[in-house]
Amino acid sequence: MLGYILRRILLLVPVLLGLSILVFAIARLLPGDPVTLAAGPNATAADVASVAREFGLDRPLPVQYWNYLTGVLRGDWGVSIFTRRPVAEDLKAYLPATLELVLAAMGLAIVIGIPAGLMAAVWRNKWPDFLSRAVSLGAISMPRFFLGLVFQLLFAMWLGWLPLSGRFPLTEDPPPFLTGLLTVDALAAGQFHAFGVALSHLALPAIAMCLSPLATIMRMMRSSTIEVLQQDYVLTERALGLSQRLILFKYVLKNAISSTLTVIGLYVGWLLGGTVLVETVFDWPGIGLYATQAVLTQDFMPIIGVTLCIGAIFVTVNLVVDMLYGLLNPKVRYQ
Amino acid sequence: MMLMTTRRGAMAGGAAVLAGLAVGHDVRAQGRRILVISSNQDIPNFDPHVANGYSAAMALRNTYDSLVRVEGNPPKPVPHLAQSWTVSDDGREYIFKLDPLAKFHDGSPVTAEAVKYSFNRLLRLNRGNAWMIAGVVDLNSVEAVDATTVRVKLATPFVPFLSVLPWVWIVNPAQVEANKGEDDGQNWLRSNLAGSGAFRLRRAEAGNLYEFERVADGWKKGGGNLTGAIWKITRETATQRLMVQRGEAQIAVDLTSEDMDALKDRPGVTLVLEPEYRTFSIKMNTRHGPLADANLRRAIACAFNYQGMLDVAGYAELMKGPLPDSIDGFDRDLPLYRTDMARAKEYLAKSSTPNGGIKLTLAHVSGLEQQRRWALVMLDSLRALNIELDIKPMIWPDMVSSARSPETTADFFCVYQTANYGDADNLAFAGYHSSRNGGWQNPVYSNPEVDAVLTQARGETDPEKRRALYVRFQRMVMDDSPDIFGVLEKRKMAMRTNVKGFVFTPVASNAIELFPLSLG
Repeated sequence: MLGYILRRILLLVPVLLGLSILVFAIARLLPGDPVTLAAGPNATAADVASVAREFGLDRPLPVQYWNYLTGVLRGDWGVSIFTRRPVAEDLKAYLPATLELVLAAMGLAIVIGIPAGLMAAVWRNKWPDFLSRAVSLGAISMPRFFLGLVFQLLFAMWLGWLPLSGRFPLTEDPPPFLTGLLTVDALAAGQFHAFGVALSHLALPAIAMCLSPLATIMRMMRSSTIEVLQQDYVLTERALGLSQRLILFKYVLKNAISSTLTVIGLYVGWLLGGTVLVETVFDWPGIGLYATQAVLTQDFMPIIGVTLCIGAIFVTVNLVVDMLYGLLNPKVRYQ
Repeated sequence: MMLMTTRRGAMAGGAAVLAGLAVGHDVRAQGRRILVISSNQDIPNFDPHVANGYSAAMALRNTYDSLVRVEGNPPKPVPHLAQSWTVSDDGREYIFKLDPLAKFHDGSPVTAEAVKYSFNRLLRLNRGNAWMIAGVVDLNSVEAVDATTVRVKLATPFVPFLSVLPWVWIVNPAQVEANKGEDDGQNWLRSNLAGSGAFRLRRAEAGNLYEFERVADGWKKGGGNLTGAIWKITRETATQRLMVQRGEAQIAVDLTSEDMDALKDRPGVTLVLEPEYRTFSIKMNTRHGPLADANLRRAIACAFNYQGMLDVAGYAELMKGPLPDSIDGFDRDLPLYRTDMARAKEYLAKSSTPNGGIKLTLAHVSGLEQQRRWALVMLDSLRALNIELDIKPMIWPDMVSSARSPETTADFFCVYQTANYGDADNLAFAGYHSSRNGGWQNPVYSNPEVDAVLTQARGETDPEKRRALYVRFQRMVMDDSPDIFGVLEKRKMAMRTNVKGFVFTPVASNAIELFPLSLG
């Protein structure tokens, strides 16, 4: 097991290296002229050349890539040619907001989706199953930004229960920075009032984000549970007189959850890369908006930085998922 | 039933508690008189000689000072750090007397040396607003005569000099030198201030908000009663609108026509709808392809459906030539192109393609719905001349890249242009002087006579003669017909009625100046 983990961790290096080459090449070979744009509307050809020189964009592409790669290893992720802010600083500012949103959304999806899927399988073709089908169909069909707008109208504008947008009240100082996840930082600082406030801001965007993975997890859990329930060993356990609860939670759940775990791993990457609409609607200062702005202006370094960062998180999450297979199901062997 | 009621009650109660917490903070904010401005633009850089964009202009005009301020409608330069000034007869030498009370946030006085240092740093870095004085002021132009007297000798006559000064910020040389590093202090000034403005930065959360607080012992007395302000980044204009509607923000600066309609007659909300120096034109490729033929351009200018353009523009008015009609130098008797199919066909008959039968391309910024609709208006207008149109949405960097040469520039090129200072020179020189060819503001248009008139107007100190030069410029451009002169957009802002002291200025109106504002 340990050897397998080490091998997988070592494999991350070529994966991330390959990703960096791919993203670097795509970002740099796209048509367009962000350097002229960054130099300003009144820049002369000499000004444009000076900006290109300043950012090392006048050098051959392999040299640029090598400089970038060695910079990343030193913690220097490059500088935005438009804002002239270091990308590493920007990632530190924007990534926690997105991570908090994605973790909350995935947490909700898992906590609700897995039991709901189990229930739908156990009470197959009964009302819990029909209800779960209707909910999952609605949840997966509804665009997230639309749901976000509906939630804003309902819970913020009409009922006034929850804040309209943002992460924290504008005029109050947020909890001291520890992780950048405001709910976590508030708890760590013992500021329970701030925790409640941060949670109230997180609620609507997290619910809007969670519905799609929730529906998938629920359906996946249902089908794999039904499959496992039809296995001979479940029949044997029933014949032996084991309780339904014991059969379900001790034997069926562990066997049924593998495919759901795969989906959860994939969804983390999907959510990380797809938060932009929810971030826009809820004015959530996350990495999605940052990346979109960078793409629209072809700001190389932020594009590469965000992609690498999301890529690294994605492969790490999938590694963790692979580890969990073995923990949950002793039949799984790592080679 | 009992259980359901209890659950629902608990949910509502929990949400109400959370909402109550937030309301409590709003009340506290009112006690501190904090103005919240909702905008969609971040302030990524606070270096006054590097940053640009209206959000940076807002931050800098409140945390730094300049020699003069811009005020009123039409905009005029008024004293600020400079209490008074004199201009030599030939318009090439300016002498400014600084306010002796002016001091930086660290308590040190704003001296003539600081002014010299700031001009020279701006020129050295050649970033941000440096283009406004490039070629006009050089490293030897600014001289500190004594502690409070500054002499500026212009390298070339430039009448709009006072109009660009509100955007040249004065930094505290001692602070910059102490943190100079290897990049002339750029890294330090990116997130630190060295100014003398009425406000200082209290909190910065990139991509989210910037909080400013009033400098307690600021040198400039008077002004409004604000104790602070928050620049809140709100990407979605509908959310900006809702924030003003709910009183969570006092000003929203980036609203659409639909938002303005939705806010009309809302209690507690005032709408600001004023013409601004922001133009939209469809530039034509005068150097390459079929539109190099002036008669074809004139034919299209006469066939274009201007009313159709205005109908989809929302709150805007049609342009009446290359300059906004409220700017000094505008020609009120300028003959205009308006939809006139008989005239269009006359011009078409004189062109090299008298029967049409050609296909042209139009490039616009992808994602900008307004531009897409105007492209469709053009497509429809050209059908009457038997001309087809290929509409190409492009991302902005691609459009900038395509403007580099006449061969790569589309036949029609959609451009918004915003004046940075309130003088005809700004839009005229950037949009029609051939020295700007290859840039997006004027990819291809070139007329040596227009160049000569624009250069002469820059240095003409007699106001009447200068106006006459701009009249000549407008007539020559109109005859060449290089653009479909589109619309002059109105600035669309909403503010709560308790905001007092706001006076609209058509230059950088969304870069709100906090000093005169109060919350009632």
